[in-house]
Amino acid sequence: MTEAADALLKVRNISRHFGGLQVLRHVDFAVPERSITGLIGPNGAGKSTLFNIISGFLTPSEGDIDYAGVRITPLSIQQRSEMGLMRSFQTPQVFPDLTVWENLIVGCHKHGRSGMVEGLLALPVVWRERRAASEAAQRILEDFNLGAVSGRLARELPAGQQRIVELARAVIARPRLLCLDEPSSGLSADEVQDLMATIHRISKTGVTILLVSHDMELISVCERIHALCFGEIIANGTLAEIQAHPDVREAYLGIQ
Amino acid sequence: MSSRPIAVTASRTLTIAAWIAGIAVWAALPWLLGRGSVDILVFAGLYTIAGLGVSFLLGQCGIVSLAQSVFYGIGAYSTAYGTTVLGWPIPACMLAGIVVSGLVAMLVGTPVLRLSGYFLALATLALAIMGHVLFLEWDWLTGGTLGIGGIPHLSLFGFTLNTPFRFYYFIWPCAAVVLWLHYNLLRSRTGIALRAMRDAPSAAKVAGIRVESLRVRTFILSAVLGSFAGSLFAHYVSFVSIDSFGIDRAIGFLLIAVLGGARSISGTVVGALFVTAAPNLLSRLGEIHPLLFALLLIVAVIFLPSGFGGAFADLWRRLGGSLRPTVKDGTP
Repeated sequence: MTEAADALLKVRNISRHFGGLQVLRHVDFAVPERSITGLIGPNGAGKSTLFNIISGFLTPSEGDIDYAGVRITPLSIQQRSEMGLMRSFQTPQVFPDLTVWENLIVGCHKHGRSGMVEGLLALPVVWRERRAASEAAQRILEDFNLGAVSGRLARELPAGQQRIVELARAVIARPRLLCLDEPSSGLSADEVQDLMATIHRISKTGVTILLVSHDMELISVCERIHALCFGEIIANGTLAEIQAHPDVREAYLGIQ
Repeated sequence: MSSRPIAVTASRTLTIAAWIAGIAVWAALPWLLGRGSVDILVFAGLYTIAGLGVSFLLGQCGIVSLAQSVFYGIGAYSTAYGTTVLGWPIPACMLAGIVVSGLVAMLVGTPVLRLSGYFLALATLALAIMGHVLFLEWDWLTGGTLGIGGIPHLSLFGFTLNTPFRFYYFIWPCAAVVLWLHYNLLRSRTGIALRAMRDAPSAAKVAGIRVESLRVRTFILSAVLGSFAGSLFAHYVSFVSIDSFGIDRAIGFLLIAVLGGARSISGTVVGALFVTAAPNLLSRLGEIHPLLFALLLIVAVIFLPSGFGGAFADLWRRLGGSLRPTVKDGTP
């Protein structure tokens, strides 16, 4: 119970149905602050639906999401983002017609306050914000090794690099909880290794990470893993415990 | 790498030379052209302002708006009614038009801008039709088919702007200021947010961008431009009637955006010049001119899919090396 007590995110009794189709059933789990927590499950287990509910893209049919001690179920995606809850997408969602640099600047959006009128008149506040965002972007470019492509349009980059841009954009926004949806899909073995190192690095800066993945290698970065199957949590524990769990072996790995 | 500073210097020299040449040509044109041609250029200036509203919405928000004729009309009728019937000062009438247009854009935009693509375009078309009908029916306000005449000309520094020649030197600086403001906006936090939400709305929401509200605010900005241009139009022609605010005008504004290249701000000027000058020049070829104009449009859209602005930017990039010294530090 100590885990639940200092949890940053609590998924409480979440159910969701689409018409007659029950996708999630009374899902309960907690993500401790500063942890790397994993969520695994076969296709159709309801992982993406759960992610969408946590990030505010879907509302649950039942249950609540608590984040940093606040019930965030009624809050918008943007309000959650303001509180430091960021997510990535299964297919990387970069801004294709913006340069890598501009993609990072968008990540700084919520740190600025200037509006349309200030923008039209190019008031000093706009320049101040731009300078601050540029400095942050410069640091992140170096951290994520994106310096060489900073002026390229995001759509010109290979899928692996687009993922890194998406991740870098989330990190520049100074998240408290970073939810990563299948971040290794489409990456080569080497790129997955780099991604694991990056996730460790982000985690060391105090960011809590919730990771959804199929990839058993990537999921090994998690301290605790929850296994979702047909909309229910069927097991939780360390990677070794999960891999040994008979229900998981049957449902997820297909082994009796 | 060593050639970069040379390329950047060449690009800068080319830019400055082009600016000086452009301004010289602009200043000389009314002295060289006849009254009719200068009149067309004045309209091109008016349409640049109104068309920029449509172009900015389309290019930076992905919103196809056919409603600009309504805001153009609101601006024109506010000025006409305010100055001739109420006797209000000119700036107050312009401001009234802007406020009314902004309010209409907010009230209509809040529900309508939740739509997207064709549905949104159709909804704005419906707005244009409704506007046209109301302008016709509310004849106590608009003069109906008879219109409103006797609208005073603008005066500036003791000059009454009552000829195309004089208005030309007023309208184009106005258009330049409006273009400059939009350049600023595009480079600001809000401008980058606009382009982000156009390309990937879900990711933009995660970045904290209030997508719905930003769309409505941009629609209001577009309406304000339409209204401003409408007011200036009323002062220029000093007579407004329903004919100026029909669907054809709405389509004309959209055409400016598409031909100019919706993602290019300065392309709007070329789009506006094309839409005002081409039909006039072609009419010298006789009865066949509407057909030729249509043909020219088709050719332009096929060969310049990103409009004149997009084609010009490509050419410029090739001439002056890179227009994006952004490669060096990434900042545009």
